[in-house]
Amino acid sequence: MDFATFPWLTTIILLPILAALLVPFIPDEDGKTVRWYALIVGLIDFALIVTAFVTVYDPASSGMQLVESYSWVPALDLKWSVGVDGLSMPLVLLTGFITTLAVLASWPVTLKPKLFYFLLLSMYGAQVAVFAVQDMLLFFLVWELELIPVYLLLSIWGGKRRLYAATKFILYTAGGSLFILVAALAMAFYGDTVTFDMQALMAKEFPVRLQLWLYTAFLVAYAVKLPIFPLHTWLPDAHGEATAPVHMLLAGILLKMGGYALIRMNVEMLPDAHAIVAPGLIIFGVINIIYAALTSFAQRNLKRKIAYSSISHMGFVIIGIASFTNLGMSGAVLQMVSHGLIGASLFFLVGATYDRTHTLILSEMGGVGTNMPKIFSMFTACSMASLALPGMSGFVAELMVFVGFANSDAYSFNFKLTMILLMAVGVILTPIYLLSMLREIFFGPENKELTEHQVLIDAEPREVFIIACLLIPIIGFGLYPKLITQVYDAKTIQISERLRTEMFAIASHEPPLPIGTIPTTKAPSIGQ
Amino acid sequence: MESLESLYSYAWLIPLLPLIGAAIVGVGLISYSDATSKLRTPSSVFIVSLLGMAMMMSFGIFWSQWNGHEPYSFMFEWASAGSFKLQMGYTIDHLAALMLVIVTTVAFLVMVYTDGYMAHDPGYVRFYAYLSLFSFSMLGLVLSPNLLQVYVFWELVGMCSYLLIGFWYNRKPAADACQKAFVTNRVGDFGLLLGMLGIFWATGSFDFDIMGERLTHMVEIGSLPGAIAALFAILVFMGPMAKSAQFPLHVWLPDAMEGPTPISALIHAATMVAAGVFLIGRMYPVFEEIPVAMTTIAYVGAFTAMMGATIAMTQNDIKKGLAYSTMSQLGYMVMAMGVGAYSAGLFHLMTHAYFKAMLFLGSGSVIHGMEGVVGHNPTYAQDMRLMGGLRKYMPFTAITFLIGTLAISGIPPFAGFWSKDEILGSTFQVSPLLWAIGWVTAGITAFYMFRMYFSTFEGEFRGTNDDIKESLRIEQLQRMGASLGPGAMSTHEMPQATADDDHHDDDHHHASEPHESPITMTLPLVALAVPSMLIGLVGTPFGNYFEAFISPPGEVVTVAELAKEVDLHEFYVMAGSSVAISVVGITLAVLMYVTKTIDAGAIAAKIKPLYNFSLNKWYVDDIYEVVFVQGSRKIAKVALTMDIKLVDGLVNLTGFVTLITGEGLKYLETGRAQFYALIVFGAVLGLVLLSGLT
Repeated sequence: MDFATFPWLTTIILLPILAALLVPFIPDEDGKTVRWYALIVGLIDFALIVTAFVTVYDPASSGMQLVESYSWVPALDLKWSVGVDGLSMPLVLLTGFITTLAVLASWPVTLKPKLFYFLLLSMYGAQVAVFAVQDMLLFFLVWELELIPVYLLLSIWGGKRRLYAATKFILYTAGGSLFILVAALAMAFYGDTVTFDMQALMAKEFPVRLQLWLYTAFLVAYAVKLPIFPLHTWLPDAHGEATAPVHMLLAGILLKMGGYALIRMNVEMLPDAHAIVAPGLIIFGVINIIYAALTSFAQRNLKRKIAYSSISHMGFVIIGIASFTNLGMSGAVLQMVSHGLIGASLFFLVGATYDRTHTLILSEMGGVGTNMPKIFSMFTACSMASLALPGMSGFVAELMVFVGFANSDAYSFNFKLTMILLMAVGVILTPIYLLSMLREIFFGPENKELTEHQVLIDAEPREVFIIACLLIPIIGFGLYPKLITQVYDAKTIQISERLRTEMFAIASHEPPLPIGTIPTTKAPSIGQ
Repeated sequence: MESLESLYSYAWLIPLLPLIGAAIVGVGLISYSDATSKLRTPSSVFIVSLLGMAMMMSFGIFWSQWNGHEPYSFMFEWASAGSFKLQMGYTIDHLAALMLVIVTTVAFLVMVYTDGYMAHDPGYVRFYAYLSLFSFSMLGLVLSPNLLQVYVFWELVGMCSYLLIGFWYNRKPAADACQKAFVTNRVGDFGLLLGMLGIFWATGSFDFDIMGERLTHMVEIGSLPGAIAALFAILVFMGPMAKSAQFPLHVWLPDAMEGPTPISALIHAATMVAAGVFLIGRMYPVFEEIPVAMTTIAYVGAFTAMMGATIAMTQNDIKKGLAYSTMSQLGYMVMAMGVGAYSAGLFHLMTHAYFKAMLFLGSGSVIHGMEGVVGHNPTYAQDMRLMGGLRKYMPFTAITFLIGTLAISGIPPFAGFWSKDEILGSTFQVSPLLWAIGWVTAGITAFYMFRMYFSTFEGEFRGTNDDIKESLRIEQLQRMGASLGPGAMSTHEMPQATADDDHHDDDHHHASEPHESPITMTLPLVALAVPSMLIGLVGTPFGNYFEAFISPPGEVVTVAELAKEVDLHEFYVMAGSSVAISVVGITLAVLMYVTKTIDAGAIAAKIKPLYNFSLNKWYVDDIYEVVFVQGSRKIAKVALTMDIKLVDGLVNLTGFVTLITGEGLKYLETGRAQFYALIVFGAVLGLVLLSGLT
């Protein structure tokens, strides 16, 4: 087999989708065969991703790799064009990893197992496709395509209010994505040539005013997905109702699509607009961090609590993207990968706890640590990861964003000081809500009311295995971040360098940026 | 020499060995929990011997540094982005070598002691795993070559402290205490992080010397306002403030006594809490040149020393008393650093580590003995009002405790005398006011320590007196009621809450007399008594080997030079006055608790408001409860209500949702929503085709 010319990405995307189409033909009554089938397909696909990564992908290059392009609908100039660069590769790896683990996490699913695994496998392909496609129109289609399985997974296997949650999810995200379509069309038809190819669009020069319009349109769509305050309210509902495997996908992968697309389109294609809007993004990032941490603290429903914590952590992604530094951009990507792992592990554990206690209300729990010491210790480890304990990936990502933003020369001293001060408040709030949560679930004397009605058995090996799989990269990246940063470094540096040249160019002939930024002076320049 | 060089290049093993122990036992506990929990002796022997190896290596390194070996450091690139690089590694200099020895020796002895103290605990193996994990973090902290790495390990020791305070997780007070400790420390880390970022922004480095050099230079040439530099320095100081329990971030330390006593000795007396002082020492090149920061540090330290001592005077829980004493002594060290007595501060850190670890282990031994009589209930086992006369039953514990008491009271020639005297002497030269605070504190210290010693070990044994027990029980219930606010707990829950504390092995206690602890517990006590008596002799004014070894970064002094500087007359005046005030304190304690010439109760009644002020810890906890704990809860609730009612509603109202909410949602909730998804998708696809064709 010739590694260099093999159509890796097409295979990786289509394999699970085709495999999903075969699910109805599998003779299976209780879902015990189909889950092995799904797991094996997931593993094969993940193995393909890893093989492509190891053999063909070159981390030192900042360009598109593993590129494939076939004409699909010539009349529309619609092309099946896929490729990965430093921005997509870590997320494609993450997708393969988390989705495969999600299949393993769905082992106990007994309701309509065939449909469940059918949807899970089609999600697999669609998710990879979102990160890999290089054609705007195609991007829009796969973006929509991946919504439908989520919608069904929510509305059939969810909790009591699942229909409301699923509907809200589809309205928000599909509504948001209409903006992508409009902006994509506008971009494609602007100028002399009509093209949907992302690389070609990146090369197009748009006037600043148009850029701002396009930027806003994209931002609305991605702010729903990421999410950014105030477009986040679908998330606690959706997360509050989803089952553990769906949860893992929502938190682990779907949120990252927002961050990915924000960098890919807003930053890469509309750099001038980004230079203008960036201070606003920082402010929204800070609001995300503090506001969601506070709401998480007050939230009494365990799933919703963790859902709000996801929103809070995404704030760092936004700030990293808007920091105009190599380190900040690198931190943003790392935070996406890191939260993918940590969020998935926490949501999985929430699901595992719920399977035993059959309640999500914190005040009805308490003292279950005595009966479930393994779940207790795994929950503690993952909460520590989530509150950015050093030695785990979350810390490195947040530190990179902090240091990157602090050293950014794009913002004035006072602006940075205020924003960093507020960001750091999040550092205090995060342990408050996470440790209170641990205290309320596990600490305290044995809970007689629960033990009488529920069987509080400790974690089974499958569950320990899933958490171990997630914790190994979390700790690995935390101890030696270069393991992951060197996968995408070349690309993020290229992005932020390009951004900086654009920004300084705009600063020299445009009126000053909205929030007093003086981009020309080197670090200590206070009092000027 | 060859072997010594390899000792340096393998020095990373010192923190790593305990980590390996913790990791192996930890993985065992998760994967084969029952089997591993039963392997008690193998697990503890394994972990203790790994730490023993680390201790041997530390001795070797200390010896070679003492003999003038060059500092050694090893760095590697940890994270990078473009031209931006962050480095990690390890550095061994005099200070690091000294800290290595302190940490490994105390940790080793505490681990030996643990075998006896935790012998009947079901979490024995888990406790060893945590202890080992802590040793790793602490050793990593002292070897850190730059501020960033200090921050990393700083948080890790904080996490270990969290795990260990909450070790008995089925006890409610432990659950509250561990969270309080972590969050309070995070408040300190908030400052540390900000200060660190600020200094890095200004100087472009996390290296201690470079940060100091560049910052000073920038302030001199005026490119950085002095106020900003001072702000950064004080922000950094917030880290030590929390970790070393300095006012106003001291509130977690007394509560941390909910953890098992061995960790109170190791973490909350000897090593982790001293990390704050260590960090001030490391940051000395930065702080030294910023007078505002130095003054702040000195006054915070002095205030804390005074505050801790005044609270310790009235505590009845033996561990709480020691905790406030630790806080007070840490205040001494911080004050010393603030007035520029670098060497004296670290000297006190060392002597205090040994005698306070011993005092805590001694209190553990007392509690262990008391539990034989009153059962596993901290309310009874730790209250000094139920003790008394224990010297007869526990001679080793009593003698070592007395040695510790003498050492902390500053009686020559015990260790504490020399270090405390050096601090007071240096402080007097800088600020007579601070000296006066320190001097009075020394007197109070002698008083409360001897009060503690007398009520515990002298007089008649009161452990079988049921009247006292009953009054203690009522007091505890009142306290629980008070801390939860009126009406927070219905009355029928109360008996249950107390019953929970002594639910395990209630059956086989009620011996009428306490017993001396097993040899694994007394041996570490005796071993620690040696440095508590003698270690001060390395830092006498006549031959200050300590200061010659540990001098501020950039300064080199020899023993002979130091001896020449000493003004013996001044030394006698200073030492005489500090011994005198200690003797006054001890005399008062004797009169009140031995001969009972003075009635302590009557005095307390006469100055009721002052007594209550001290007993209630200056009401700091109550103020924080109202302002921060309840305040943050209220804000959070408002945020959540706003999110559900306002934000969600507004967003739902705006935009396209307005068009369909009315009919659409109603229609969709009937269950045909799947179709809607297809409709949206279809519509979008149609739109694509349509717009593509035009």
